[in-house]
Amino acid sequence: MLIINYIFYIDFAIFSVFVTLFITEIMGGVMILIGWDRYRKGILDYIVPVWEVTGTFAAFWVVASDFAFPKILIPVADIFPWMIMLFLILFVARNSTIVFAEFIIKKGWLDERKLYSGYAFSTLLIAIVVLIILSGIIGGTGINLSTLSFSAGSWALNAGGWLFLIGAVIIALGLAPVFYNVIDLKKITLPFTALGIVISTLSFYILSPGTFSAMVIIPVIMTILIPVLYLIQPLRMIVVNKLFFIGWGSIDIFSMNFMVYPDAFGGKLPVDAFTTSGPMTGMFYAISLAGIIILGILVIFYAFAVKRKSIETIEHPV
Amino acid sequence: MVSFDRFLFAFTIGSHIILVAMSISLILLITVFEYFNLRKRDEAQTNLIRRLKRVFVISFGVGTASGIVVAVELVNLFPGFMTVVSETGIIGAFYLEIFAFFLETIALVLYVYFEGVFKWKYTNFTLATITAFGTLLSAVLITMVNAWMNTPNGFYFDTANGMYSSTAKVVVTNVWAPLATVSTFSEIVHVLSTTVFAGTMLIGSYFAYRYVKSRNDNDRNIFRSVLRKISGISIIGIVLAGITGSNEMATLLKYQPLKYAAMDLNPTPGTGFPERLFGIISNGKVVGGIQIPGLQALLAKLETGIVQLPGLSSYPQSTWPPLWIHDTFDVMVIGGLILGLYLFILFLFFVFKKEYVKNRPMLYLQIILGLFAFFIYEDGWVTDEVGRQPWIIYNMMTVSQASNYSTSLLIPGYLIIAFYIIVIPSTFYFFARIFNSTRGPENLSPSPQGGVDH
Repeated sequence: MLIINYIFYIDFAIFSVFVTLFITEIMGGVMILIGWDRYRKGILDYIVPVWEVTGTFAAFWVVASDFAFPKILIPVADIFPWMIMLFLILFVARNSTIVFAEFIIKKGWLDERKLYSGYAFSTLLIAIVVLIILSGIIGGTGINLSTLSFSAGSWALNAGGWLFLIGAVIIALGLAPVFYNVIDLKKITLPFTALGIVISTLSFYILSPGTFSAMVIIPVIMTILIPVLYLIQPLRMIVVNKLFFIGWGSIDIFSMNFMVYPDAFGGKLPVDAFTTSGPMTGMFYAISLAGIIILGILVIFYAFAVKRKSIETIEHPV
Repeated sequence: MVSFDRFLFAFTIGSHIILVAMSISLILLITVFEYFNLRKRDEAQTNLIRRLKRVFVISFGVGTASGIVVAVELVNLFPGFMTVVSETGIIGAFYLEIFAFFLETIALVLYVYFEGVFKWKYTNFTLATITAFGTLLSAVLITMVNAWMNTPNGFYFDTANGMYSSTAKVVVTNVWAPLATVSTFSEIVHVLSTTVFAGTMLIGSYFAYRYVKSRNDNDRNIFRSVLRKISGISIIGIVLAGITGSNEMATLLKYQPLKYAAMDLNPTPGTGFPERLFGIISNGKVVGGIQIPGLQALLAKLETGIVQLPGLSSYPQSTWPPLWIHDTFDVMVIGGLILGLYLFILFLFFVFKKEYVKNRPMLYLQIILGLFAFFIYEDGWVTDEVGRQPWIIYNMMTVSQASNYSTSLLIPGYLIIAFYIIVIPSTFYFFARIFNSTRGPENLSPSPQGGVDH
């Protein structure tokens, strides 16, 4: 009898929303670095109110994973200790720079642009750390499960890891003009996204040929549809809607769950064996349900506020 | 590595609670101002709220990141402990905290970045209150975890002595029980009252300094208004801290007698003990320090009815915490009394309707004692946490059993310490800079020129 591991799927759904939000920030970070004067208004209008929510989703996923997979904590802490610490330093740097940048009044050498660039750099570096860890979780790249250790050298020697990184960066570059509706970059969106998808798909195959399946077609189609819809003018308004993009992106990432389930680390680690069980599952469901209802209500309020503000801006432009 | 793990985590959380206390006190203060603004709208007060909101956003932003550092460090430095946490109901407190955190975050985002979007008269006050509620709820939930570490329940290890071993399995008996242990309530009320008190005193220290330095009458009026409210909160805070602290000692006496014996430096069990201020144990006897005859026994009897007090000799020496916690405990109590005396004098100023801000020595004392209150707050946490040693889960799992022994933690660990040494002062520098640089009416929308509109 097939038993569905709902706990895994709930955790992966949280992960999908977090990653989507984080990708929107990465795209913003790239745009800040390449065209500060030109794109800053559109980027900051989005990022300034949302970066705190992204951070909260990061915490949400970390705690939900602690709850869902208690027995994985010791192996993960043993395998990635310095990567996790590096992530933490970058995370504090990200938050500090953006929150200082929000309110800085130029005095001396430090100004808003430098702080936002600091934010963009730390966000991009966090992305690299996260992608290296994810490539390890998907394919076991650089990881020795018997000694519970990670070797950066052996990770670097595997083409799959590099392609995974490069593919993700190119996709982000391709989708950034869509998310921030930068018309003058519309020509790059389809070729970049398509190239990124090809590289990423190849990287999945190299990383974990055992778990690679035809299911990959779902995220491929969902991702390529974004620039395609953007290029069709009557449909552009749909994909540039940020709530739509985040929803679509979350489903897109969620569809990639087959890469780590039922087996992670290149097919070596059965996820079901590490999932919480017994009376703890009831608590997980109860709190998740109550929490997600509260979160849903808050998001509705937030969406309502965003809509009201955008209407006011149209009625009373600055 | 165990010592390093301990030190790194102590340093991180010691730094983190500075931001936590600041955030909690600041949002409460803002909520109080929103309440007064609702009763009598005043442009100067509205402007002050905006300035404080900006400081709060910085405190929240850096504090959030720091909170995640603490949470992930727990997994990374003490994976054995977090595995047990994740297999028992106390993980529910961490999980619930995320939703409190969402409540705080989204309410704050609406409060700060969407001002004026909702036309309802009570919007600002309501959003400030929800943000404050989310912030306090986060503190309550994380204190539940600490209370459970002190008085664990809801599970056992399937070993002969009930203590952790590398092959032990966790058997859950009640998933919800860890959210309400025997020490949960007393610890929550004490932590909340002292946190609000310490944070408020720290903020008061800054405003007292600004009042002393300022030559601008408008500024001085604003600072006087803030200082009056801060003084009111601080007076209530010290009274609550005293009552809840006494209750906390009663809980210790009942449920953590060894910790109580170490804090009061009782070498042997017995009756009629004096209150000992400082001193050390030598050859089984207390040497040095000051003794107040019968006071400890009297307080214990009044608080709990217990006459026979515990002593260290009843427990194996390997389970004793470091006995210098007796000194940190005494410093905390004496410090609390000094703060109480100052606030009592301040209270008399209110009673006799005198403006204490016109009294320079009182203002200088407020500057010094605001910082001192925070030192006492940190000292209290050191007493509590070191007092639980060598246990991470009292009488069930030691810190060394929970620790990560990977030496690859060393370099990034030192980097985190160096980073905090830069981040905390920078954050306070920015608090002051942002507060001082935004005096006019503002909104917080990003401006076309850069930064926010001023």
